Amino acid sequence: MPALPRSFIDRRRFLTLLAAAVPTVALVRRAHAAALEHLESDPGTLDALADAVLPSELGRAGIARVAADFRAWGAGYRENAELVHGYGTSRLRFTGPTPLTRWTTQLDALDAAARSAHDRAFRDLSRDDRESLVRAALAKERLDRMPAVGAANHVALALLAHFYDSADAADLCYTAKIGKSTCRPLAASPHAPERKLRVLER
Amino acid sequence: MNLARRVRAVESDVCIVGSGITAAMVAARLARTTSASIVVVEAGDDTVPLAQRPAARDRFLRYGENPWGVDHIDGYEIDGPLQSRSMQVGGLAMHWGGVTPRFSPEDFRQHTLYGVGTDWPISYDDLEPFYEEAERVLGVAGEQGPAEMDPRRAPFPLPALPLTYNLELLQQWAAKAGIAMWSQPSAKNSVPYDGRPQCCRNDTCTPICPIGAKYSPDFTWNALRRSNRVRLLPRTLVRHLALDPSGKTVALAVALDRDHPDTPLELHAKTFVVAAGYTWSSHLLLLSAQSGAPNGVANRSGLVGKYLAGHRNVQAFVDLPIRLYPGMSDQHSLVTKQFMRHKAGSPFIRHDLRVWESASGKGPRLADDSGGLMLGDAILADWRKRTQTGAARVRAYYDVVPDRASELTLDPSRKNAWGDPLPRLAFRDAPESAALRGKTEDSVRALFADMARVGNGKVTRTSVDGFQDHPSGGCRMGDDASTSVVDSHGRTHDHENLFVVGAPTSVSGGCANATLTFCALSLRAAREMERGLPSAGPRKS
Repeated sequence: MPALPRSFIDRRRFLTLLAAAVPTVALVRRAHAAALEHLESDPGTLDALADAVLPSELGRAGIARVAADFRAWGAGYRENAELVHGYGTSRLRFTGPTPLTRWTTQLDALDAAARSAHDRAFRDLSRDDRESLVRAALAKERLDRMPAVGAANHVALALLAHFYDSADAADLCYTAKIGKSTCRPLAASPHAPERKLRVLER
Repeated sequence: MNLARRVRAVESDVCIVGSGITAAMVAARLARTTSASIVVVEAGDDTVPLAQRPAARDRFLRYGENPWGVDHIDGYEIDGPLQSRSMQVGGLAMHWGGVTPRFSPEDFRQHTLYGVGTDWPISYDDLEPFYEEAERVLGVAGEQGPAEMDPRRAPFPLPALPLTYNLELLQQWAAKAGIAMWSQPSAKNSVPYDGRPQCCRNDTCTPICPIGAKYSPDFTWNALRRSNRVRLLPRTLVRHLALDPSGKTVALAVALDRDHPDTPLELHAKTFVVAAGYTWSSHLLLLSAQSGAPNGVANRSGLVGKYLAGHRNVQAFVDLPIRLYPGMSDQHSLVTKQFMRHKAGSPFIRHDLRVWESASGKGPRLADDSGGLMLGDAILADWRKRTQTGAARVRAYYDVVPDRASELTLDPSRKNAWGDPLPRLAFRDAPESAALRGKTEDSVRALFADMARVGNGKVTRTSVDGFQDHPSGGCRMGDDASTSVVDSHGRTHDHENLFVVGAPTSVSGGCANATLTFCALSLRAAREMERGLPSAGPRKS
């Protein structure tokens, strides 16, 4: 097994230790900030993961946009924020601990697995090899529907859930400009959505 | 040294407890037709301003966060099915769906017509002018269904929201099944109205309209506050209504300013209006037990908190061999009143029927039919294959006749931060309703199966919601003071200057969304209040 860079081990150990530590508010905030810094300063592994699991029809630019928006999602995550009220209950619900700590740990694990199996970084592998490593990482997951992004057990699933919940994903599926949850003229309601040409650039 | 705490007193002609949609109806009407001074008291905070709603909506869409800021009071976890934890200026109608059908004429005469439940002391015809007024205030967009099902004297104030392409196809499907369906009346602007813009299908009416195309009570409060016609006190919890020595009138309301809890606050008024919804209205009356009213204010009948009403629903998803585009507008629906006409000689079954576009069973998934993980292009290909056909959501609210033991009581085991017992809620069907529940739900399921068959489709999933939606009652209206809490105008039988308005006064829950009916009842009550108040007279320039 090739030697890992010292900074890599330090960061990984640091994040793991933080995630496992008693979640005091200050510590959790530091863990979230550190994980975010990791995601933003070293985007290569996440970008390579996005390229391996998202549909190729998005094209390189589209895949990069999804990965960037996923990072922005992570940056905007707030712990213990009140969730929308349910009807028929007085129980309040709140967002959970940041998922970023486990996701960055998982990205590091993918990279470690790549170095172990191929002697190269995850980002430098072929798409097929990256997909194989993702499949191996998800081997023990119970899979069916897309999970909620923040509840996804693995960063690959979170990334998929993030994309497939979007208006762009629905438009890509239907090859139509549905534009769900966006402001659209009422007058256009009675007509089938305009067709949307598939992106062929790769 | 005088250690007595200084009491802060607020005087008005009319004191309204609560700031939800029915409070807004009463305040707006009284502000228009009288010169009375009006104070409105709201336990919750002020609501999120319109300008901040797009950002709040964005966080709801991305993270599921509550877009309404701090809209609850801590420590109000109660035993029973509370409709919503929200407490804020505007009440639950800040996040309502804006769905505004009227009740049907039969709803008011069920005992006479069918021998079940209790007749209301008013008829549909009595309420119709106030339905019209409520539709104008809210800006209801709608189209009239067939007149025999959907009687009305005047057209809707706004043209109907146009059906989406999806709903047009689903309307044709329903027609094949012999069901006439039309655009659900909604308090959403099909055209610009009352200073608010046209709806643009953002499709998050519940929980938040980011542009104000859907009516919410804050628009009324903003206008009334700008014109100094009401004084609205947020973060002020009314804890007790104190009677005068005769017991015939309410002398004052004892309140707590949450920002100055150590300074006692008294609200003095000639008329008191409790407009705090089906839970907090009965709760306040029960909390107000005192000498001369040991079971609570307005409760000589012992019926405060009783006969809580609502309706359950049966829902299904139907796969249909038609290409639909879910996401065009999944909050707007088709509706029919065809099944509100109970057939003589058959068991009492009445329900509405609504149809929506749906993505149920048509979403992207991670595993294929054999359970194998899909990634990359495989997920998209699988999703495309499964969306060549469409899905519809069908749902029927059906009548539930409330039992006397369907009730709100004070829960001695749970208290709020100021030591007041919290309410406990328990809904019960009257025996005649309980006996018919299975038959009713089977009948609705059979209807869904018929619709699926006619459309060459299949029902994929059916559920019954145990929760009774659009809850009401607790201070039901009637002509007999021994069997009701308020008269047909919402005036309590026991106290001449105390009104209860809106949801609590309902005798039954009907089988359609009830907010418009609550609004109409409130406007009718406001007309009665006007009689004792100075008229508006000519406006000073």
